[in-house]
Amino acid sequence: MTIMLEDVDEVVRALRTVLADEQILTGRADRFNRARVPAPFPVHRWAERVPDLVVLPTSTEQVAAIVKIAHDLRVPVVPRDGGTGLTDGAVPLRGGILIDVKRMNQVHELDLVNRTVTVGTGINMLKLNEYLAPYGLFYPDDPASYPCSLVGGRIGTSGWSLIGARYGHTRDLVMSFDHVLPTGEVIHVGDGIGHKVSKSSSGYQLKHLFMGHQGTLGIATRATLKLFPKPEAELSPFWAFYNYDDAYACTGALARAGVATFAGAVLFDEHKVAYLRRDDEAYIPQPNDVRALVCAVMYGWDDEVRAGGRRLFRIAKEHGARYLGDEISEGDWAARHDRYATPLHGRTKDGQVVPMSWHCEDAAINYSQLPSVTRAWHEIVADLRRRTDVFDDWGMFAYTQGSTGVDYLTEIDVGIWEQQLDDRAWAMWVDAKRRIARVTLDHGGSISACHGSCREGEVDLVPEELGRGFDLMLDIKRTLDPHNIMNPGKYLLDRAYPEEG
Amino acid sequence: MTDLDHDAQASADPLLAPFTPGMHGNPPELAELTRNDEIVPQVVIPLADVKTREFVEEWHNASYNCYSSGHKFCREVCPVVTETRNESWSPTAFHANVVAMERGELTIEDVAADYVNCTGCGACELRCPNTLYTGDFYRFRTRTVDVVKAARALAVESGVHQEGYRSWNARTAERSHEPVLGEVPVGQDTVRDWADGLGIPVGGETILFVDCEAAFYRTSVPRAVAQVLQKAGYEFGLMGEQWCCGGPAAEMGYVDQARTFAEHNLASWRATGTRRLLVLDPHDYISFTEDYPKFFGADFDLEVVLVVELFAEMIRDGRLVPDVAVDRAITYHDPCRLNKRKGIWKEPREVLRSIPGLRFEDVDRVTQWSYCSGAGGGLAVEKPELTAAISARRLDHAGRLDVDTLVSACPWSERPLTEAGDDVDIDVLDIHELLATSLGIEVGGSRGETGDRRLAQARTGAMGRVRRTKGARGPGDAPSGAGSGDAPGGAGSDAAGSGAGDR
Ligand SMILES: Cc1cc2nc3c(=O)[nH]c(=O)nc-3n(C[C@H](O)[C@H](O)[C@H](O)COP(=O)(O)OP(=O)(O)OC[C@H]3O[C@@H](n4cnc5c(N)ncnc54)[C@H](O)[C@@H]3O)c2cc1C
Ligand code: SF4
Repeated sequence: MTIMLEDVDEVVRALRTVLADEQILTGRADRFNRARVPAPFPVHRWAERVPDLVVLPTSTEQVAAIVKIAHDLRVPVVPRDGGTGLTDGAVPLRGGILIDVKRMNQVHELDLVNRTVTVGTGINMLKLNEYLAPYGLFYPDDPASYPCSLVGGRIGTSGWSLIGARYGHTRDLVMSFDHVLPTGEVIHVGDGIGHKVSKSSSGYQLKHLFMGHQGTLGIATRATLKLFPKPEAELSPFWAFYNYDDAYACTGALARAGVATFAGAVLFDEHKVAYLRRDDEAYIPQPNDVRALVCAVMYGWDDEVRAGGRRLFRIAKEHGARYLGDEISEGDWAARHDRYATPLHGRTKDGQVVPMSWHCEDAAINYSQLPSVTRAWHEIVADLRRRTDVFDDWGMFAYTQGSTGVDYLTEIDVGIWEQQLDDRAWAMWVDAKRRIARVTLDHGGSISACHGSCREGEVDLVPEELGRGFDLMLDIKRTLDPHNIMNPGKYLLDRAYPEEG
Repeated sequence: MTDLDHDAQASADPLLAPFTPGMHGNPPELAELTRNDEIVPQVVIPLADVKTREFVEEWHNASYNCYSSGHKFCREVCPVVTETRNESWSPTAFHANVVAMERGELTIEDVAADYVNCTGCGACELRCPNTLYTGDFYRFRTRTVDVVKAARALAVESGVHQEGYRSWNARTAERSHEPVLGEVPVGQDTVRDWADGLGIPVGGETILFVDCEAAFYRTSVPRAVAQVLQKAGYEFGLMGEQWCCGGPAAEMGYVDQARTFAEHNLASWRATGTRRLLVLDPHDYISFTEDYPKFFGADFDLEVVLVVELFAEMIRDGRLVPDVAVDRAITYHDPCRLNKRKGIWKEPREVLRSIPGLRFEDVDRVTQWSYCSGAGGGLAVEKPELTAAISARRLDHAGRLDVDTLVSACPWSERPLTEAGDDVDIDVLDIHELLATSLGIEVGGSRGETGDRRLAQARTGAMGRVRRTKGARGPGDAPSGAGSGDAPGGAGSDAAGSGAGDR
C-alpha cells in the first residue's frame, strides 16, 4: 500500500501549498533515518519501513492542513516525535507521509498562578525543566528516556514515569491538548473542555482515548502540563540482598508503607545483578553473595524526606537489607534515571563481546505474581539462547507503578545482535514475544505498562487482553479515521476495515 | 566481577541460572551451544565501490554501537539539532548512514550534504551512554566527530563536493591561508601584520602560531597574547613561513590538502629549530594534538602549549599579576574544542577569576555542553545562516544572566558571537584581550568591524553600550511573548534554548 512514485510528486505539490520547501524532505537519507526506533529492528528489511516523504511542520494549523491533504489523497500518515518509542509506533509500515513534530517545541505559556505550562509537543522534558528551574518549578514526567523522549510521544504512548508513584504518570500530568483528528479537524481534549482543569465529570472522559493510541487516532500538537515545586530533597537508597526472595519481600513492604514522599521502588533480580556485574560501571562491584538489589526513591521537602526516609530504612533493615552507602545510591540513581545505563554490549554464551540492541518487555503485573512471571520469562529467553547467540538475557527490573504497590512495571531486558538477524532469527524473536505476552495474560497482567503493545508478536494477544473492548477500539477507529490513514497497520486496526482486506 | 559458577552447577539447565559468559568454570555446555548456533552468521555482500567499502570497514563497528542503541540521548545537546530539529542531521543519523551504506541502502551521494550539518563540537560524544558507561571497560567511546570527518573525506575522494567547501579550500590552497577577509586577499606578505610595532623576532625555539582568523580578522587577540607574553618576559618568535594549519581542510574532507599544509609547517619549524608551539586558538590546538600526530606519528615531536593554560600557570605562580580593574559583568563561553573535546575548562575560569573588577556569572561546563557558537567544523562556510542562528541562541543564554559581556577563548567563535551580541547589546571579548587589559596593556589591533564599533562607542562614552539594568530578566517575571516565533531558528522562548542548567 506504499504510495507510488508519481503520487509522491502529487503529494509534494499539495503540501507545498501549506509548507515551505525546506519543510518537505524527500531524500533517501531523510527517509531512511526516520524508519526506525530503538526497539529491535529487522535491519535486513530496513527498506520496507521507510516513509515516502517527511514533513517538519511548525504549528497546529500546518499539521491539520497536512493531515487534511493526506485524508483527501488517502495517503498514510505516521506521527513521529522523539523516535524513542519501544513498540515501533513511529515506524512506518505502509510508507506515506511521516509527520515529524520536533519543531513544535515552543513554550507557549507559563502560568505561574495556576502552575501550568503550555508547550508544543516537540519539546523534551529535560529541556523544559531547564526552562522551569529559575521559577522553582518542575514537570515530573520522568521516564528512563527523560533526556530524549518528547511530550508528543509521551501522549502518543501514554507513558510511564519512574517517579509516578509520587507525581503520577503522563496521563495525570498532561491536563489537556490540541489534537488533530485523522480528517484534519482540530479538537481540544482535556477534562471536560478545560485547558487547565484537573478533574471534570462533564461528558465522556475523552482525554484517555487520545493518549496511548500510538498515533492511530491523530496528532497532539500543543499540551498544557501540570507543574510542581522543584523538590528540595531527593533520597534514593540502594540496598543489597543475599537472595531474590528477601529483596522481593522488602520491595513490597516499602511500597505498602504509605510514605507520602515515596516516588517509587525498583527491584533488580539475580539475572540483572549478574548482567550488571559483567561490565556496567554505573554499578560498583559488590561481593559475590549480593544477588539482588532494591532501590527506593523519595522526593519532596528536606524535612518530610528525612522523616519518610527513616521509616523506609527501618523497613529495609527488617528485611535483611544492607545499605550500599550514599555514593553508590546517588550515583546509581542518577545514572539509571537520567540516562538509561544499559551497557549496550551483549555476550555470546562463551563470552565474546558483541554489540547488541536493547529490547525491553514491559508488562504490568500484580505484586503477587512477580516471582512466577520472572521465572517464566527467563525460561523463554533461555530457550532463545539455547538456540542462538543472537539473544542474550540482561535480567529484569520490577518498578512500582503506583503509591500503593498494587502492580509493577515488570521489565525483562533482552540483548539482540541485530547485525546477525535474518528472517529465521526474527521469527524466533516474534514467537518469543508472543510467549512473553501469553505469560502476562495468564498471570492477570497487561501486556504493556508503558511502551504500548503493538509490535509483532505481542500484538496478536491484544484482542484477547481487551476482549469486547478491542471490538470497540475497531468501531472508534473506523468512526474517527474512515479511510485508515493514521498510522495504518498498527494494533491490528486494519480489522476495522474488512472491505480493504 | 564473579562467575557465580556454583549457581550454574546447581541448576540442571545452565541457562536458567544467572552466569557471566566467558568465565572459566562455566558449564562446558555453554560453549558447545555456541558452536551449534542455529543462526548462521550473516554474510554481508561486500560493496563494489572500493572507497566506500574501506570507509565502511573502518567505521561500521563504531557506527553499529550507536545504531544498536539509537536512544538519541545526544539529540538535545546537539547545537545543530537544537536549531533545526532535523533528525537527518543528528549524531544518530551520522552513524546510521554508515550502517545503511554497508547494507547498500544509501550511497555517499545520498548523504554527503547532510554531513555538513555538524560543528564538530563533540557534545554528543560526551552525552552518549556508550561513552559514559562502557568507555573504560571496552576501551570504546563514541566518535561522532571522527565519523563526520571521515564521511566528508569519503565524499571529497568520491568527487562529491559541497560548493562552499570546495571554493574555500581552493582559495586556501591558492593563498596558503583561509580567505577569512572575503574579497580582501590574505597571504604570506600580510600574515604578520598583526604584530606591527611589537618587535617580535622570527623563528626560535618557541614560536607563537596564529590561526588565520586571528592573524587577519581579530588581530586584537594575537596582539593581546604577544604583549602578555612579553610582559611576563617569556621568549618567543613568529613562525618562519606560516601557512594555515590545515585543520579546516581536514575537517571539510580535503585531507590531502591538510597534509600538504602540515608538511609545509613542520618543515618550517624544523628550519627554524623550533621545539615548542604556543597555540592561542582551540582549533589549531586540535590540529596539532590530533591531526599532526596522525600525519607524522612519532616524527611530530614538538611540544604544544595552549596559551590560556600557560597564562593560568603564570598567574598561579605570580609571573602575571592582573591589577587593573575591569568594570564588566561577564559570563564565559566554553569553546567547544576546549571544553567538550579537550576537557579544558578550569584554566580559563582561573584566568577570569584573577581579573579585578569583573563580576563573573559562571555557567557550569556541563550545562555548556549544549552551547556552541556554530562557527566550527566548516559550518559557517557552507551554512552561515545556521551559524548565525546558533550564535544567536548562545547570546540568548547569556542574555538571561545579568551580564553585559560574553567572554570567549576562541577567535573563530568571536566573529559570529560578536554579530549576535550586537543584536542584544552584549559585548563579546576574548579572554586574552581581557587579561591584557587588566595587565595595563593597550592591546590595539582590530576586533572586526562590529567589535571595533561597539568598543569605540563604549570608550567615548557614547550611548551605544549601556550596562543592562540589573535583574532585567530574572525569574519571577512573566516570560515574555511566548510562542511568537514558530519558525525553527527563532531563538524566542523556545525552551530548548533555555539557560539555567538543571540536571
Ligand atoms: C532508553 C529508553 C528508556 C525508556 N524508558 C521509558 C520509561 O521509563 N517509561 C516510558 O513510558 N517509556 C520509556 N521508553 C520508551 C519511550 O521513550 C516512550 O515510549 C516515549 O513516550 C516515546 O516518546 P517519543 O517522543 O520518542 O515518541 P515516538 O517514538 O516518536 O512516538 C511514540 C508513539 O507516539 C506517536 N506519536 C508521536 N508524536 C505524537 C503526537 N504528537 N501525537 C500523537 N501521537 C504521537 C507515534 O506515532 C508513536 O506511535 C524508553 C525508551 C528508551 C529508548
Ligand atoms: S551518539 Fe550516542 S547518545 Fe547519540 S544516538 Fe548514538 S549511541 Fe545514542
